Amino acid sequence: MANYHLTIAHLYGDLMNTYGDVGNILAMQYYAKKMDADVTTKLVSLGDPFDPNDFDIVFFGGGQDFEQTIVAKDLPTKAAAITDFIEDGGPTLAICGGFQLLGQYYIGADGERITGTKSMSHYTKNQHDHRFIGDTIIKDEQTGEVYHGFENHQGMTFLGKDEAPLGVVSEGAGNNGADGTEGVHYKNVYGTYFHGPILTRNGDIAKHLLVAALKRKYPDQDFSEQENMVIPATF
Amino acid sequence: MSLRSGVATAVGKTSYWFLHTFMHGGSSLPGKLAARIDPEILKHLGQNYDVIVITGTNGKTLTTALTVRVLREKYDHVLTNPTGSNMEQGIVGTFLHAKRSRGQRPLAVLEVDEANVIKVTRYIKPIAFVFTNIFRDQMDRYGEIYTTYKKIIDGVRLAPEATIIANGDAQLFNSVDLPNPKIYYGFNHLPQGDMKAPTNTDGILCPKCQHVLHYHFMTYGNLGDYFCPNCGFHRPELNYAVTKLGAMTPTASTFDLDGESFKIGIGGLYNIYNALAAYAVGRFLNVEPAQIRQAFTSDERVFGRQEVIHVGDKDVTLILIKNPVGVNQVIDMILTEPENFSFVGLLNANYADGIDTSWIWDGEFEKLGAAGTGENPKIKAFLTGGERYKDITFRLKVAGIDQPMIEPDLTKVTAKIKELPTKKVYVLATYTAVLQLRKQLASEGLIKEGMGA
Repeated sequence: MANYHLTIAHLYGDLMNTYGDVGNILAMQYYAKKMDADVTTKLVSLGDPFDPNDFDIVFFGGGQDFEQTIVAKDLPTKAAAITDFIEDGGPTLAICGGFQLLGQYYIGADGERITGTKSMSHYTKNQHDHRFIGDTIIKDEQTGEVYHGFENHQGMTFLGKDEAPLGVVSEGAGNNGADGTEGVHYKNVYGTYFHGPILTRNGDIAKHLLVAALKRKYPDQDFSEQENMVIPATF
Repeated sequence: MSLRSGVATAVGKTSYWFLHTFMHGGSSLPGKLAARIDPEILKHLGQNYDVIVITGTNGKTLTTALTVRVLREKYDHVLTNPTGSNMEQGIVGTFLHAKRSRGQRPLAVLEVDEANVIKVTRYIKPIAFVFTNIFRDQMDRYGEIYTTYKKIIDGVRLAPEATIIANGDAQLFNSVDLPNPKIYYGFNHLPQGDMKAPTNTDGILCPKCQHVLHYHFMTYGNLGDYFCPNCGFHRPELNYAVTKLGAMTPTASTFDLDGESFKIGIGGLYNIYNALAAYAVGRFLNVEPAQIRQAFTSDERVFGRQEVIHVGDKDVTLILIKNPVGVNQVIDMILTEPENFSFVGLLNANYADGIDTSWIWDGEFEKLGAAGTGENPKIKAFLTGGERYKDITFRLKVAGIDQPMIEPDLTKVTAKIKELPTKKVYVLATYTAVLQLRKQLASEGLIKEGMGA
């Protein structure tokens, strides 16, 4: 038995699950085990209540356009609780559509404006008849860490003034193909367009999320061993 | 025949003859040349055939091959396109090189790429469409399932009189009202329960009211006897059904169709769907069940993509994988192997493989991990390779296989296979990895070159 236990909320995991995004949960389980923690994942979907106190990590994956519009209709019932979780420093990973939906709004494939949870200040426009598709490499300018991913998105996301990017693009398009940013890092939220999945290729981000979750759940424990864990390259 | 069509046909046929005679094989060039001279060439070429179009993301090739086999039990002239020639030019080429038939009006059973259905129906009015399924498939190339289905029905709308023969267990095929006559096939082999699809399943929303669908039972992926607990939307009545599943191994499946026993020389539940689709087309064209049974067992080479290759003292089964639902079906199938075996996973990410390898994380490799660990595991060894060996290696590690053997270089994989501890070896590989491995096997004289039957 592991010493520590973490619970992940898989937001709309039955609808937002494209491009192997579930691999992020598998990666968290894998690295958590090395940190003496086990992980339970609970699906929180249409009509389900979301209580931020029940969860240590929130994971919100990407979805197809149609599913995303259905999720957006249900989201207002959970938006305030999700914002509470984020503002309280809750570790959160949001990919592609999940990343867009934690912001102000996004413009859908048919041009309609779809409201997000407004937990964060970024917003997303739609480009006509073009997608950003391909391998991407970014660098986190604060930590110096380099991240690898695969992007496949039509949305062009623009960060708010209070948001820092997850990294600066050295290969690929990033958030919008224009300003050189990719993803967002706000408090303990990691938002990104990276598939691959991001945590299987970039174990350091899995480590950051897990360590943040452990410290938050077990504030009196010493996690320096987990923090100093060296993650071997996988990509 | 217009002068233009005549010239186009002549150029196409001549270039086909030239390529076939001097270049050892065909290509899409004859079709390309003919279509360039006369964009409406298909109208001219196809008008003398009763055409059946088979489309969908998975299972097109085997369904087409089985359907041809079934129809040939009753009909003398059944034309079909070779594997991989499922786009417009390949179809033009297929008609160009067909021999003229006498007597009966000939049939043409065409495997057609989803986006190319409209390119066919613009010129040819088929008598039937067969829809196998629509799963997530290399989304960097094809996009989402709804987009894929829309492409298909855009083509179907030009042929409103053609009968749609569709997989009734796929809710997407019941989501748009079309004027065409419809025939549904599916599974009716389990008692009625009430369940939801596993979390990581695509396409589970009710197309009428957008609630999450429930199922009386499921077969695989999002297929099954679906119903909506909110609005009552449900699976249509099936015209042809699998009524019982019998013994399943990687090389044989037995099952009942409408109460009568059938057998095919290949494993995997998904292949029973392919056989069922072929059965439905056969019944649609009045082929008797006894003739269909005969067709399924008369020539096992029809299942050629899963041939067994002898490498040293190993029996190696090479299986193409390309998308999550497909790989999950293959994983389930190889786990029906009665003997211990070794697993080889070869991953490339060229355009034909899909340049995004993320999809392997939707594959349930944990099942292989469970079968490869613990006391006396069924899977005795794991080997990874290909240009993206790092991705597939880490996939296996997360699935619980700590130290797989690794051989990035596909020209050296056959040597590594000889070192594996079991007689049986299953190799799962993406498209270009299959081609590269086959090339290597051919250079060692273990197989003839090419993609197989």
